[in-house]
Amino acid sequence: MTGLLSLSRAPVRFAIGLAAPVLLLLWWQWQATAHISTFAPPGAVGQAAAALIRDGTLLNDMLATLGRAFGGLFIGAPLGVATGVAMGIWRPLDRLLGPLLHGLRQVPMIGWLPLIGLWFGVGEGTELIVVSMSAFFPAMLNSHAGVAQVERRYEEVGRIYGFGTAQRIRFILLPAAMPLVLTGLTQSLAFAWIATIGTEILTGAGSGLGVTMQLAQTQQRLDIMLVTIAATALLGFVINHLFLRLRRRLLRWQPSSL
Amino acid sequence: MSADTRPARPGQDHPGQNHPGKERGALSIAGLNKSFVIGGRPRRVLEDINLTVRPGEFVSIVGASGCGKSTLLRLIVGLDADYAGDVRLDGQRISTTSLDRGIVFQDHRLFPWMTLEQNIELALLNTDTPKERRAQIVADHIALVNLKGFEKAYPHQLSGGMAQRAAIARALVTEPKLLLLDEPLGALDALTRVHVQNEIQRIWMTQRSTMVMVTHDVEEALYLGDRVVVMSPNPGRIRRIVEVDLPHPRDRRSPLLHRLKDEILAELTSGAGQGEEEPTNLVHLPNREER
Repeated sequence: MTGLLSLSRAPVRFAIGLAAPVLLLLWWQWQATAHISTFAPPGAVGQAAAALIRDGTLLNDMLATLGRAFGGLFIGAPLGVATGVAMGIWRPLDRLLGPLLHGLRQVPMIGWLPLIGLWFGVGEGTELIVVSMSAFFPAMLNSHAGVAQVERRYEEVGRIYGFGTAQRIRFILLPAAMPLVLTGLTQSLAFAWIATIGTEILTGAGSGLGVTMQLAQTQQRLDIMLVTIAATALLGFVINHLFLRLRRRLLRWQPSSL
Repeated sequence: MSADTRPARPGQDHPGQNHPGKERGALSIAGLNKSFVIGGRPRRVLEDINLTVRPGEFVSIVGASGCGKSTLLRLIVGLDADYAGDVRLDGQRISTTSLDRGIVFQDHRLFPWMTLEQNIELALLNTDTPKERRAQIVADHIALVNLKGFEKAYPHQLSGGMAQRAAIARALVTEPKLLLLDEPLGALDALTRVHVQNEIQRIWMTQRSTMVMVTHDVEEALYLGDRVVVMSPNPGRIRRIVEVDLPHPRDRRSPLLHRLKDEILAELTSGAGQGEEEPTNLVHLPNREER
């Protein structure tokens, strides 16, 4: 019993979480010494990282990538939530737009890239559109489901206290849908992140983790590629973690939120 | 001696009888019929209901599952306006919901995303209660149902009995002329039930608003009601109205209550066989009640 309890203590949990990355690192070191051409040893990667940090490239790349991801997220996600909620509340809109949107979302976001690139040229505009679209769909779908699933018994309470439409949305539909809306936003975040790195690799110009990745590939710089991959993983991890904390705070009214 | 021993405001001990002109919370139901379409054909759930409730009176409705008693409350509160006949509160025909009529459901229906305090205050949203007085009114009602100290609790942190008392406070905060109680204690355990029954009696004696309570518990109906309406199912009809001529607060051991309980139970069980699809019993089958 005490053994089980101590396993859930924060420092112990943290140490257990570190085990897999450390093992990976050891395996990597071993591979790198065995096949020197396809693997850069951790030491070399460390040096590359230090160099990239010193000349500011890594910071610039991270900021540029974060800017694109959040730019797209802040456009796509609110539009997605608004569209989903509107479709959930007003059925004619659902009938009108539902089939179209469900069809469009079957196309992976990268699939839009050639077309949008043709229309808007290769550049920031295209990237922003693709990232926004990636963030839009999960937010839209989950918000729609969230609003559509609001229990009628709560709606009846609203009727009894004479709620108007705005009050109904604000005090019943949105909070009741909030768990699913937040699930949608978590997915939007992940999709926006993937789309950002993806478009950077495919169309990238200027700064950005994906741009540097692509450049490192053409230059066969394994060490730099690994640095950018690690930076992408770390940033994604931190953002996701912060968002989950925000989610827990917003859903503290739930008996057992995530 | 039914009502005159209640602690009442002067001149209001028989509001319905002494002041027939100045009515507050007088419910009259006349020739009420209600059908639902089930499986493509209409099925009558309420047939020729006639009932008058005096202002300030407590009326209990008992009956087997499927006798339409919950449907009746939904019509009175205005959640369903599709009926034939007349349901009037103080002379006005009921066709939609109104802040004049409050309801407590079997499930407390507090919004899980709001604290107890916020839930109760939300009921005042569309009243003309001045904003600066609302906090005080909410606090008073929380005190009324003995929930002081739980203002900031979320519904999932309250026990079943506490949540139900909170729901009663929310229903009362708008000072409705008529309070409807739809099996409010149905989901509670026996001890909590007794406790909340006492509380409802105390609240009713202080508030003196008209109350109509649906229940499947005959003892509870008799303990609280000035009159007990006994209904029979298929279709739902009023079978008998029993006067409970005892002052409030009541003693559960009163021989009259026990005699009436035996009578009503006999009445409810003797009907078996009349409703062919459903035996008339007091076993509560939750799904049967859902139209």
